[in-house]
Amino acid sequence: MSARVDPQFLTEIKKYGAVNIEACFNCGNCTAICPLSTNGETFPRRIIRYAQLGLKEPLLSSKELWLCYYCGECTRTCPKQANPGEFMAAARRYAIASYDPTGLAKALYTSPILSAIFLVLPALLIGLGIYAFHGPMPTNALKLFDFIPAGIIHNFGVIGMILLAVLLLAGMVNMSIKVKGEKTPGVHHDWMRALWETLIEVLTQQRYQQDCETEADKPVWYLQKWFIHASTLWGFLGLLVATALDYGLEVLGIKATGTWVPFWNPIRLLGTIAGLLLVYGTSMAFVRRIRKSDATSTYSTISDWAFLILLWLTGVSGFLLEIALYLPQPGIWAYWTLLFHISAAGELLILMPFTKFAHAMYRAIAIYFHALKPVPVAEPAKAGAD
Amino acid sequence: MDNLRIDALIIGGGIAGMQSALDLADQGFQVALVEREPSIGGRMITLSKVFPTLDCCSCITTPKMSAVAHHPNIHLLTYCEVQSVREHGTGFDISILQKPRYVDVSKCTGCRDCEYECPITVPSPFDRNLGAYRAIRVPFSTAVPQKAVLDPEYCLWCGKCEQVCPVEAIDFTQQPETFNIEAASIVMATGFDLTPMETKKEYGAGKLHNVIDPLMMERFLAPTGPYGRVLRPGDGKEPTSIAYVQCAGSRDETLNITYCSRVCCMYAIKQAMLISGALPMAEITIYYMDIRTFGKGYEQFYQNAKAMGVEFVRGKVASIKEDSDQNPIVKVEMTDIGEIVERTHDLVVLSQGIIPASSPILRGGSTQAVSLPLGSDGFIYVPAPDSAPCVTERAGIFVTGTAMGPMDIVDSIISASAAAAEASAYIRENGNRVEAHKEALYA
Repeated sequence: MSARVDPQFLTEIKKYGAVNIEACFNCGNCTAICPLSTNGETFPRRIIRYAQLGLKEPLLSSKELWLCYYCGECTRTCPKQANPGEFMAAARRYAIASYDPTGLAKALYTSPILSAIFLVLPALLIGLGIYAFHGPMPTNALKLFDFIPAGIIHNFGVIGMILLAVLLLAGMVNMSIKVKGEKTPGVHHDWMRALWETLIEVLTQQRYQQDCETEADKPVWYLQKWFIHASTLWGFLGLLVATALDYGLEVLGIKATGTWVPFWNPIRLLGTIAGLLLVYGTSMAFVRRIRKSDATSTYSTISDWAFLILLWLTGVSGFLLEIALYLPQPGIWAYWTLLFHISAAGELLILMPFTKFAHAMYRAIAIYFHALKPVPVAEPAKAGAD
Repeated sequence: MDNLRIDALIIGGGIAGMQSALDLADQGFQVALVEREPSIGGRMITLSKVFPTLDCCSCITTPKMSAVAHHPNIHLLTYCEVQSVREHGTGFDISILQKPRYVDVSKCTGCRDCEYECPITVPSPFDRNLGAYRAIRVPFSTAVPQKAVLDPEYCLWCGKCEQVCPVEAIDFTQQPETFNIEAASIVMATGFDLTPMETKKEYGAGKLHNVIDPLMMERFLAPTGPYGRVLRPGDGKEPTSIAYVQCAGSRDETLNITYCSRVCCMYAIKQAMLISGALPMAEITIYYMDIRTFGKGYEQFYQNAKAMGVEFVRGKVASIKEDSDQNPIVKVEMTDIGEIVERTHDLVVLSQGIIPASSPILRGGSTQAVSLPLGSDGFIYVPAPDSAPCVTERAGIFVTGTAMGPMDIVDSIISASAAAAEASAYIRENGNRVEAHKEALYA
């Protein structure tokens, strides 16, 4: 097996945040202390070694990057304080930039100025674009979709979604090709089972909860890292489902999108609970990063903040809208909130392949390939004594 | 106790302090050696064999202990602590505390009748608390001086020792006494301690039954040891699988100990060889990050151990737990093959690092009383380690042995002679020698 060595590789990865990784002398403490590292899929040391030796392709082909939930145990116990946990996070950022064919992700991660511009510009464009089609703002009753016709949101959404799907697909294909490895002839893999396991892990965050809560005295469940993460994830997924269902009702002609429903309406209830989870999760993540609660929240890149800010703004503005819907006499602010909400959510989705948000799909792919095991071949019946 | 006027005060009666004292005394200087324990000998007298020659430790240390005790120019002050050091001209005024032995040393003959009669059994620190001795005892068989000492913490004051002592040396009325020494120079030979086991949580923080420190293993292997054989302390079982965890307290930034302790590779290899002799069927594994065999004959020693069948596994042990039978389980990545293994052993020795005995981690010792600046590693600061390694920041105070930094016995002895040479030059230069003793020199 030949390998191409890139002498600048370590310098390159350090642009993405690997704090002190050149101090690593490969003792293997991180790999042995890691609750998720297993034989055949060892990390972080092997991945660090790739970076130190300039082995770019093997690093980008390592699904192990995405199996790590960053519990911080390796960083806490590293005898050189080389910060292997933060290195894994930096390598993931590098991977997001590498799988993205446009080069935008790389620019966002490595240039603070571009990051700042891209945090504002897409939202501004979406906002202005939609505002161009705006209608009246009736104050006698809240008619959000008189102000911005649902069709406009829909059209913008469809355009955005198609763009997003193409870019996401490119990244996913890029990663999958690298990660899946050589095909061994005659070996079949149980892909159904792998898909099922991936779904379960993504939805429940089981391994995060069971293996990666490593603190000596665990905080109460709602303050644990996995719950804060899961709460954000469930909130986001819940809102996605609620929105899709609401739109589905319109397609079926049962009710128009955005019309008043009692708060106990199942779809509205799902949206409310999901919104609460999203705002709770992102707020707690903010608090942890501001307080630098532990090693895992000490180093925050612009990308980390941008992702959190967008999620939080989307969640909170959504809530304001819901409150406005139930107020007897909502003010003009509700209409502006709607515009803001659409802009923030739009930007969140559009930037998905280029920001931290991309981990959602790359992690799922990694978990899939991790779960993909060969179908055991039935052993031929043993012949009698030979 | 009368006040003393001398040329050099040596603080610490281990191998380095004894060597400095002998070198200075042989040149005719009047020397006092202060030791806080009831006997001199330090760490070395507790060890089994030295590396790489496998010579007997006692056979090297005991003659030096005797030489110190019998030298006409050495005043031996055991069970004493330095309380303060004040500058006085070019020399020093030192206040010394004599702790009470409750035994009149001028009468005691070391017959041990008191010890045989004493009903109280006490864990013996000389045996790393693996063995026991009496509340009144001669500290260990080759102790110097061979004088009994009574431990008031455990004594019931039953008086049996007093009744049985043939020379009426027992004196329950002794009090701590302070006296002064005027000395032209000081040599610090305060030695080392092990990194406390409690600091490394991943290795059980000292709570695992069959995880021991390397000085315990030295006592198991020493002919004068508590059991006369290697047994694991948890249940007295003879171990068949023994592991060494290297760098368990050195080269570890999580403990703020970044330096290499230098001796651990070699003592682990040495103990592995000795265990191979004591327990020929035992399997021995050494988990290491790098093997550092820097001295003369050391690399060959390492190669010999490999040839003898000692297994060397490269990888930093991440954690040690224990199973229901109190067997320690070691988790490590074997970095040569990139595999994570969890292995169960009968006994694990943590190759803990060397920290200064006066370390702020521990109780402040003599270094505090002398108020010398310490380096960032906690050892006594030496301004010019390349050109004058034994000279401290304060004129007239010199340092030797593991008070300078981690080193093995050979280097301790070399540095002890170096410190003695520095002190000798300083005393002559300052012309402050005790008149009476010039006669001794020029007689």
